[in-house]
Amino acid sequence: MAKKHKISLSEEELIRALRNREQIAAEALYDMYSASLYGVISRIVIDTATAEDVLQDTFVKIWNSFSSYSAEKGRLFTWMVNIARNLSIDKIRSKDFKNQNKNQELENNVTFIDEQRNTVYKPELLGIKDLVETLKPEQKSILDLVYFKGYTHVEAADELGVPLGTIKTRLRMAIVQLRKHFN
Amino acid sequence: MRVEDIKAYIESGILELYVLGDVTHEEKLQVEAMAAQHPAIKAELEEIERSLESYANANAVQPAENLRDKVLNSLVTNLADDRIFNTKEDQKPEAKIVEMTSPRQVIIYKYAFAACFVLLIVSVAALINAYRQIDQSNTLIASLQSQNQRIANRVNFVEGEIGILHDSTYKLLRMAGTAKSPSSGLTVAWSPVKKKVWIDMSNANMPLNDKDHQYQLWALVGGKPVSLGVFDADTTSKDMKEMESIASADAFAVTPEKRGGSPTPTPDEMMVLGKF
Repeated sequence: MAKKHKISLSEEELIRALRNREQIAAEALYDMYSASLYGVISRIVIDTATAEDVLQDTFVKIWNSFSSYSAEKGRLFTWMVNIARNLSIDKIRSKDFKNQNKNQELENNVTFIDEQRNTVYKPELLGIKDLVETLKPEQKSILDLVYFKGYTHVEAADELGVPLGTIKTRLRMAIVQLRKHFN
Repeated sequence: MRVEDIKAYIESGILELYVLGDVTHEEKLQVEAMAAQHPAIKAELEEIERSLESYANANAVQPAENLRDKVLNSLVTNLADDRIFNTKEDQKPEAKIVEMTSPRQVIIYKYAFAACFVLLIVSVAALINAYRQIDQSNTLIASLQSQNQRIANRVNFVEGEIGILHDSTYKLLRMAGTAKSPSSGLTVAWSPVKKKVWIDMSNANMPLNDKDHQYQLWALVGGKPVSLGVFDADTTSKDMKEMESIASADAFAVTPEKRGGSPTPTPDEMMVLGKF
């Protein structure tokens, strides 16, 4: 099957097209964000078929409730990734999913995922190895817990056995490191 | 708020939690209010968002190739089912069609209704007229029937009267007025064979009797009066009237008696008398 030409719009153009519910907006939305969102979803929901369902649910929810997105309150991706994370957490906390007992132990989750999948890093993102080295282990673990596992910082403090203040500081420092790195 | 306070707010870590969606509703409102007031906080939020977006990008996982069509189809299905895709352009002409069609139909219905209404009024008027004519005709027929009946009765009666005259068994006797009423006279037709007695009220010229009295016809048989019934003398009494039957009589007389008749006559009051 021939790979379709991927559609890319500026964030402003995409938001306008989504507001007007143009079909090109749906395609651009998927092409621009499916990999980033699936990166989050697939780290929370381990089962591939279920993770794909959640990705689909995420796009349907983004599409249907787009009127509730406000550009003044933040970036589009921030709004979307929180939808993806919440839907993922809802899925793994739902009864029928728990019964499947497909949850992996927390400790080796992120590395497990990255080992299991053919994680596709975008070619423009050079220095991904540098990124891993940029973050201290304790920064990466807290960031991944909250960002990729959907833990609240309170849950993360419990999990890691460190005070709330320390969690907040580490989280902030991790993101400051990211800023330095990406800038 | 001082610059140091803003810096402290930024360094508290609340902005990172806000971007991660890990704040209470009150904290969320507070951060949004602070960001709206202080450009530095707004800029800091933007930086955090961009960093995490880049981090997500760096950790992106390409979903299966066939998922793209599946997801897009589910959005397009939403389009087909619920018209969730933009349909502004589609709706306008649709609305126009409705606007154009609707008044035209209304006008047609108006004319149709008016025509029906006029037709109804005309029909009702025609019906009332026809009913009137039928009613008049019925009245006329009834009056003609009753007239016809009267004429038929009259003819029968007159034929009966003429029959009496033609019947040779009848004897005619003109009772003459007495001193009480000299101008009066009453003709009696009597058939001893058929034992029938008729009186002829025409030209009787009897004084009209009142409500309490009637005339009574008597037959004198061997000197004894026998009642033959009562009759009235009024303005309409011009016909022959059959009285009670009797086989033999010497004379006939009429006296005024109390209504219904008396067992015996009052001779002094005798109006007319005739003997064979």
